[in-house]
Amino acid sequence: MSGSALAALVALLVIAPLLPGVAVKTKSVLTGRRGAPVLQLYYDLWKLVGKRSVYSATTTWIFRAGPVVMLVSVVAAALFLPLDGRAAPAAFDGDLVAFAALLALGRFALVLAGLDTGSSFEGMGASREVTFASFAEPVLFLCFLTLMLATGQLSLSGMLGVPLLAAWPRAAASLGLAGLSLFVLLLVENSRVPVDDPATHLELTMVHEVIVLDHSGPDLAIILYGSAVKLAVFGALVTEVFVPRSGLSAPASFVALLGGLIITAAAVGVVESSMARLRLTRVPQLLAGAGALAFFGLILLMR
Amino acid sequence: MTLFVAGISLILLAGLTVAVFGRHPSFGQAAFRFLVGLGCALGAIPALAVLAGRGASDVRIAGAVPGGEWVFGIDALSAVFLVAIFVVGAACALYGVAYSGHDQGRRPVSGAHALVALLVAALALVVTARAVVPFLIAWEVMAVVGYLTIVFEPERAEVRRGGLLYLVATHTGTLALFALFAVWGNGAIDLTFASLAAHPPVSAAAIAVVLWLALVGFGVKAGIVPLHFWLPEAHAAAPSHISAIMSGLVIKMGIYGLMRVIVLLVSPPIWFGWVLLALGAISGILGVIWALAQHDLKRLLAFHSVENIGIILLGLGAGVLGVAYGHPVMATLGFAGAAFHALNHALFKSLLFLGAGSVAHATGTRDIERLGGLAKRMPRTATTFLIGSVAIVGLPPLNGFLSEWLVYRSLFQGGIITGGARFAVVAAVALALIGGLALACFVKVMAVVFLGLPRDTAAAEARESVPGITRPLAGLAGACIIIGLLPAFVLPSVFRAGSLLAGGLPPDMMPLIAAANAPVTAFVLALAAGIAVAWLVLRVLSRGRRARADVDTWACGYPLPPTARMQYTASSFAAPLLTLFRPLAGVSVKRTSHSFTTHVVDPVLAEFMLPGWRGVRHVADRIRRMQRGRISLQLAYVVAAVIVLLIYLVFRGGAT
Repeated sequence: MSGSALAALVALLVIAPLLPGVAVKTKSVLTGRRGAPVLQLYYDLWKLVGKRSVYSATTTWIFRAGPVVMLVSVVAAALFLPLDGRAAPAAFDGDLVAFAALLALGRFALVLAGLDTGSSFEGMGASREVTFASFAEPVLFLCFLTLMLATGQLSLSGMLGVPLLAAWPRAAASLGLAGLSLFVLLLVENSRVPVDDPATHLELTMVHEVIVLDHSGPDLAIILYGSAVKLAVFGALVTEVFVPRSGLSAPASFVALLGGLIITAAAVGVVESSMARLRLTRVPQLLAGAGALAFFGLILLMR
Repeated sequence: MTLFVAGISLILLAGLTVAVFGRHPSFGQAAFRFLVGLGCALGAIPALAVLAGRGASDVRIAGAVPGGEWVFGIDALSAVFLVAIFVVGAACALYGVAYSGHDQGRRPVSGAHALVALLVAALALVVTARAVVPFLIAWEVMAVVGYLTIVFEPERAEVRRGGLLYLVATHTGTLALFALFAVWGNGAIDLTFASLAAHPPVSAAAIAVVLWLALVGFGVKAGIVPLHFWLPEAHAAAPSHISAIMSGLVIKMGIYGLMRVIVLLVSPPIWFGWVLLALGAISGILGVIWALAQHDLKRLLAFHSVENIGIILLGLGAGVLGVAYGHPVMATLGFAGAAFHALNHALFKSLLFLGAGSVAHATGTRDIERLGGLAKRMPRTATTFLIGSVAIVGLPPLNGFLSEWLVYRSLFQGGIITGGARFAVVAAVALALIGGLALACFVKVMAVVFLGLPRDTAAAEARESVPGITRPLAGLAGACIIIGLLPAFVLPSVFRAGSLLAGGLPPDMMPLIAAANAPVTAFVLALAAGIAVAWLVLRVLSRGRRARADVDTWACGYPLPPTARMQYTASSFAAPLLTLFRPLAGVSVKRTSHSFTTHVVDPVLAEFMLPGWRGVRHVADRIRRMQRGRISLQLAYVVAAVIVLLIYLVFRGGAT
């Protein structure tokens, strides 16, 4: 476990709440509005942490455990990424299964916490969330398989670390397709347009926001922070695929990661200001498209 | 082996005791519990010893028995299944005593307990038999006793139907097994497994016949799609602890049989690996889609058994491909994953079935649309069911994650090597889809049964079950947690089974595989510790501010709180996924102005099996016309048969 990788992880956890702010700011500027401050999420988190939680009488301990499990699992997933561009803090053969399973664990915990309230709105959101997630999971594996076959490595640390740089000239098309597919997954997994609209005000149309409708105070702060970390983790994933940084010095690598994260967040903002949300029944088709991209990448490597 | 024999004897004695003391149930049941517990504990010791790397001597019965010696032995493969049989068997037998308590005096409860003991003993003999004749005897005892335990409540039509389907299916499978061993044993010295292994089928055609017979014979038992049609009917009809044994253990005997055939065959052909992989993907995906559509808690769990058999087959298929293409690491990982998942599934599926039984016991219904809010009323059942759900979905830090990870790893290992085996990696995508859908399904079950508000008075008035029911649940949940948190102790054992199936692994490769144990253990422990620490930190930080916990659920601005009728139903929850999979799911939707329900029919059973059986019956009716019951006609048949035989012998020319 290298120090630089841990330092990069800490940095990622600190700047994570910046990314939703960047996305919102980009969207505001592109649509001719001033928009909320980039640091808005930090203010919100600070405010929420100072409040007390309110719990519905219907709920059980599952409602309170959900946010904690979700945050821990997302942070644990980040441990498998080589954020310094070379090696991850944690790695073992096949740890991409652990990465995907951790995201699933976080989703399971949060969705059950939402359903614990007995609210039909939360049920609606939960149903949509697990539906989309069942299609997102195979797509994620297709992307990882492409990376695996391109680099010959079995761990995320290897797939995204040093061997990736050597793999790019050999497998540029496949890696590009996988990266693109990962960006679509970022939109789906983090409930952004065109899958979900974080700015909507109608509960009936929400996916992610409606699951956490009943959480409040510190619990809500944990969820918001956990979601920001998840966005950062996916942003880092996309960045690492497109910008192999093993040749850079440690500071340059860090700056490149930061730049990649901010560009990714801005890209999310661009997508959000340029298109509307898809109908819910169209989302699986979007995912199938992303899966097809990654699958073509995989086939190119299997010739 | 002495301990094993002692264990089996004690289990059988337990059955005998409870049956003999049927008039004094309190004594009989106390003795039954004690003897079954002791017998299972003793029987598990040699299995654990084998898994730890020690050998076990065989038991041989020579002399006046057919088919050569009767040999019983424990190797690493048997041991994995034996551990499952004794742990799950003990839990289900103990649970059964409390579960059938209210039937005392109305039904032959003591006899049913005795049958459970006999079933557990038969299962243990199936996986230890090393010769064809004792294997088939144990297999048939298991099948027939299984039938008798399923039809515990024969006055219910559903039970009679499920039992009959089971009986027909299992005997069709047995027929294939007789054919399998007849073909294979033809020409061998005797019918011990050692002789079969020394005399494998040579020609490609003979191997194909043997393997297809094994796939049918063992596939029916395992519930591989499309041979699964009997499984949900039978498993839902049986009493819950029987369902747990059926889904946890009995269907695993099909997997064990396939694995034993692979061991005996030594070098399975390439096509067999692809067939297993394809069947695994099909069973897994269809099983979970059908499960999503169910609203009967036990039928839903039964379809998940089909799904998990699919996951096991994916591991088996990867293993066979590894052997056939000459990649021992891939083979060992795949077989180890399959064996490990069989063990894990036995644990968490029996836990879930016993939990479903606890719910059915407390509420009187298995229809999840009538349940809800049971987490508050039945906290122990709810918590253990949650543990089982996390395990079956394959989430860390529990045991299901580890075995699925092994199956994935085997497929990945295939992906990064050159040669035909690398295409197997695509099966990982199917496994991921299965995982995602299983998560959706268990979110549905947990939420609709245990969370929210009760949808019916049955659920509202439910009470936690007695300790006799909740203790076995806690024991099985504990087993899932221990295996999940300490893979470093368990993985070497399953690798032993895997390398046995892979035909032995070069010794220098073992450390290569074992190298992953430590980081995985560190990972699951760190995850569990991380969750615990974060939970404590949050509790400590928010101690100063008292949270309000007495408000209504937010109704989005409406002044009235949400009621139970406004809750999302299981039908609504699963609707988006079922709409997408409608051609496969066999779902019919019923929509009225104020309700939305879905109903599912098993497409295989309804569209192929039942019409097929009608056809068979039609033909059989035709044939029956020959049988008029007139002696003169019968005599004419005999004479005709003799004449035909004589003509045949004359033309064959070998009569003299």
